[in-house]
Amino acid sequence: MVGYISNIYVGVYTVLVGMVITFRQMLKPRVTHQYPYQYEFERKDNYREIPIGYRGQLHNRVEDCIVCNKCVQICPVDCIYIDSRKPSGGRGAKLWESMNVVHLKDRKQIIGIVEGNTKKIEPDTEITISQTVPAGKTRKVSSNDVDRIVERKKVTFYMDRFDIDMALCMYCGLCTEVCPTECLTMVDTLQGIEYSEFDRASLNYSFVKPELYK
Amino acid sequence: MRQFFSIVDNLSEVAVGSSKPLASLLVEILPPLPAFLEEYEQLLAMITACGIFVAVVPLIPLVLVLAERKVSAFIQDRTGPMRVGPWGILQTLADGVKLLFKEDLIPPYGDRVLFRIAPYIIVCFSLAAFVAIPFGAIDLGDEQYIFIVSNLNIGIFYILAVSSVIVIGIIMAGWASNSKWSLLGSLRSAAQMVSYEIPVGLSILSVIMLVQTLNMQGIVDQQGSGLHSWLIFRTPFSFVAFFVFFISAIAEVNRTPFDLPEAESELVAGFHTEYSGMRFALFFIAEYANMFAVCAIAATLFLGGWQGVLPGIDILGGLPGFVFKTLFLVFVMMWIRWTLPRLRVDQLMNLCWKYLIPVSFFNILGVGIWMLVLGADTMDMKSLGPSLVIIVLAVFILLRQVFKGVSGTKQETIPAPSI
Amino acid sequence: MAAEGSKFIEVQPFSDEMVLSMGPQHPSTHGVLKLELRLDGEIVREAIPHIGYLHRCFEKHAENLSYPQIIPFTDRMDYIAAMNQNWGFCLAVEKMMAADEKFSGVPERAEYLRVLVGELNRIASHLLSFGTYGMDIGAFTPFLYAFRDREEILLLFEEICGARLTYNYIRIGGVSRDMPPDWLGHVKNFIDYFEPKVDEYNALLTENKIFIERTVKVAVLDEDMAINYGITGPNLRGAGKKWDLRKDEPYSIYDRFDFDVPIGHDIPRIGAVLGDCWNRYKVRMDEMKESVKIIRQILNQEIPEGPIIAQYKAVRPPAGEIFDRSEAPRGELGFYIVSDGSVKPVRLKAKSPCFTALSALQELSKGLMVADIIAIIGSIDIVMGEIDR
Repeated sequence: MVGYISNIYVGVYTVLVGMVITFRQMLKPRVTHQYPYQYEFERKDNYREIPIGYRGQLHNRVEDCIVCNKCVQICPVDCIYIDSRKPSGGRGAKLWESMNVVHLKDRKQIIGIVEGNTKKIEPDTEITISQTVPAGKTRKVSSNDVDRIVERKKVTFYMDRFDIDMALCMYCGLCTEVCPTECLTMVDTLQGIEYSEFDRASLNYSFVKPELYK
Repeated sequence: MRQFFSIVDNLSEVAVGSSKPLASLLVEILPPLPAFLEEYEQLLAMITACGIFVAVVPLIPLVLVLAERKVSAFIQDRTGPMRVGPWGILQTLADGVKLLFKEDLIPPYGDRVLFRIAPYIIVCFSLAAFVAIPFGAIDLGDEQYIFIVSNLNIGIFYILAVSSVIVIGIIMAGWASNSKWSLLGSLRSAAQMVSYEIPVGLSILSVIMLVQTLNMQGIVDQQGSGLHSWLIFRTPFSFVAFFVFFISAIAEVNRTPFDLPEAESELVAGFHTEYSGMRFALFFIAEYANMFAVCAIAATLFLGGWQGVLPGIDILGGLPGFVFKTLFLVFVMMWIRWTLPRLRVDQLMNLCWKYLIPVSFFNILGVGIWMLVLGADTMDMKSLGPSLVIIVLAVFILLRQVFKGVSGTKQETIPAPSI
Repeated sequence: MAAEGSKFIEVQPFSDEMVLSMGPQHPSTHGVLKLELRLDGEIVREAIPHIGYLHRCFEKHAENLSYPQIIPFTDRMDYIAAMNQNWGFCLAVEKMMAADEKFSGVPERAEYLRVLVGELNRIASHLLSFGTYGMDIGAFTPFLYAFRDREEILLLFEEICGARLTYNYIRIGGVSRDMPPDWLGHVKNFIDYFEPKVDEYNALLTENKIFIERTVKVAVLDEDMAINYGITGPNLRGAGKKWDLRKDEPYSIYDRFDFDVPIGHDIPRIGAVLGDCWNRYKVRMDEMKESVKIIRQILNQEIPEGPIIAQYKAVRPPAGEIFDRSEAPRGELGFYIVSDGSVKPVRLKAKSPCFTALSALQELSKGLMVADIIAIIGSIDIVMGEIDR
């Protein structure tokens, strides 16, 4: 008999406890983020919706690619296709050199040509970076803000084809880690996630630029 | 013909005291008809009153569907529908239009006739319960007109009878779908609804004993002396009867925690799995109309109907007050749905037969003894006093335990932004 | 004429038995699992699981990939606790490489980061199991609450490694990226916000009388039966045995932290017995609190500076075989690797904890009702990606 009544009592008050918790939740603000109407503030307040370093879609700065094929070898699903040929002029004929990538301590990057020694960074000096991508300007940064600098490498191949099949890509990021010139990157802005297509064949991105070789 | 009209005359004039139903109101306020229609006056008024109800009452589920989605969203920290119309108000209209355009699939090996009839039975009998519920009243001159289509002398009994026919529709729907899942769902639902009608009837009985009439308008009239005369406060046993009625009503309407027939995670959608398009919409309309109807009955029987807090039609009185009380009970039903898990079939039956029915019998006994010893039907302080004291004490003890159980959990919802 | 050995044998079900296929597409089997239920009215006579709908040939595929290339594929096995899957695989490979003198061992900073992300992922995985279990039982709200908190954890992971579900973060010899400068502050914010939430979820669901009625005394998996089937993790701890690889055979730096191993209890107040669904579920809720404890201890210490990955020339484990296991949120995850000294394994086998747990379903579900089957599947917390690989 006592068990019967205590059953009723416990039943009633645990139900009421649950109801109080959910009612309290009703009075609090919502956490829904109404994409795409609410991402405008990323451009307004410098507020980033997507963190720096996010693994979005792949992007290749083909001018800097030295066709080492490391990304092709490391890709677990073989989604990168590269065809290349040697220019006339013998072995090791240099077409041009790739750019330096200066990694700053606040996780930004500047791509350009750094004069002077890039292997060792002296503290408290000023580093000039000319011909920055994309604007072509010259910038000066203090070397205390610099984390590391990627060296320039010689580009010795013509590239006929550099295709990445985005539908196959598994976004593991291994190819970006092995790239020696860091020309292959993953876009970490909203553009890195908004690229839906209607036709799967149009997800085969071709990065090669024939006008480079004119 | 004459006899038919005399019956109609009788139906539209039956009243307790000086209150007259809606048809009489229409006869009063509308301009007089031309001479050749004179003898059909009552009949036409009746038809118009029915027409008003048929036009207005099915709109209630439209509002309730949207309300449910918004309430559930707010409980779950989401926003609910926001795109269609400002803050998503027109969402139900869009859903209705979409359902109209859907393909009308009838399972090929099921029973086609039963498949088609089942939604109509459920909808018609859900809406038929609204006929005897008094929605409000206005005073014109020295006569009081009630917004009720038909003031039956057996009002509450009629409503109970009509709600029981819905079970037949559900069984038809499950059987005609030719699917094991639907059949399981509909049989569970039939067992559940038939079982829970007993506590519904018994708890209503314990309240009817206080008012000595089955007439819905009569019940409301007897609660007209203010807040303390509402039947829920007359005896502590009718207070408990209100909660027994409410729980059984939730089971009657097949809502969580009793929604095994349409358990989403177990049976996909139970007895209405195979329905698509407008037939599916009819099931939904029937469910929400039924929900509104049982809440309206609870408000009428226990919370004073359209009577207000003070004598006469005042705060919480009249049509707005009645709708407010009903919608509050509907909100509580939705709140319970989104908080509690689902009961298993045998636990459901256990709850009904072993807990609710003995408690209902106990209530009837208690109300009877209270009436005999302290005179609960006369509404004097000898009976009201102890009753209010006991009710307040019990509620206080329960709420203290509840807030002790909730105490460790007060916390902010949104952490600091991470980027 | 057909040969004698190829007679087609047809098994007739009993005449009053209904065969119901809780098919691959179902709202509450966690993933694509087909359960063939032989019912007698509402009572289940037998529940036969059919798996393989999510089989992706992971083990065969791994024979063509080098060891660093296999790590993204281990993410996709148990996609809810992907960090622990990565870690289990890397532990096995590092143990094999320890014989190689060029391999310098996992640096300290990497170990701390591994424990941090591993415990955060344990919280995320248990949150998801709590939410989906509530939803299966019929309470829709805890699911949304669990996902709201899981979003915060996924945001933390997004900051540190760039992805939300398939991390590819824990590499052979360390981790892939160092943490951003203010990441520890974000972790602390999250932990301070989350710790009282477990109490709130307990008040909302665990102590709820209806939930208790649905889950106590249902499908009692006692200790002997669990050990016979090879079940580990919270399922075994719910049966009363205190066995946690992090305490009993500590790997990485778990021996430096002070935390309890929650087990199930007989609780007469609510009627719970050892090994029933409620106890297994409660062990997971308590484990979330223990993970919070571990993370707090890390936050109070200073994570040492240093490299985040070991130095080695190439991942070429010496020839041999190894089986190593680690404590994933769902049990003991084991990897058996056979190597012949080249960059690709000869054979890779993953021992999945959910597979052994699901194999007990057939015996657990005899004599219960259909609604209880749902409760059991939710309480043993399976992920079909891991079962089918």
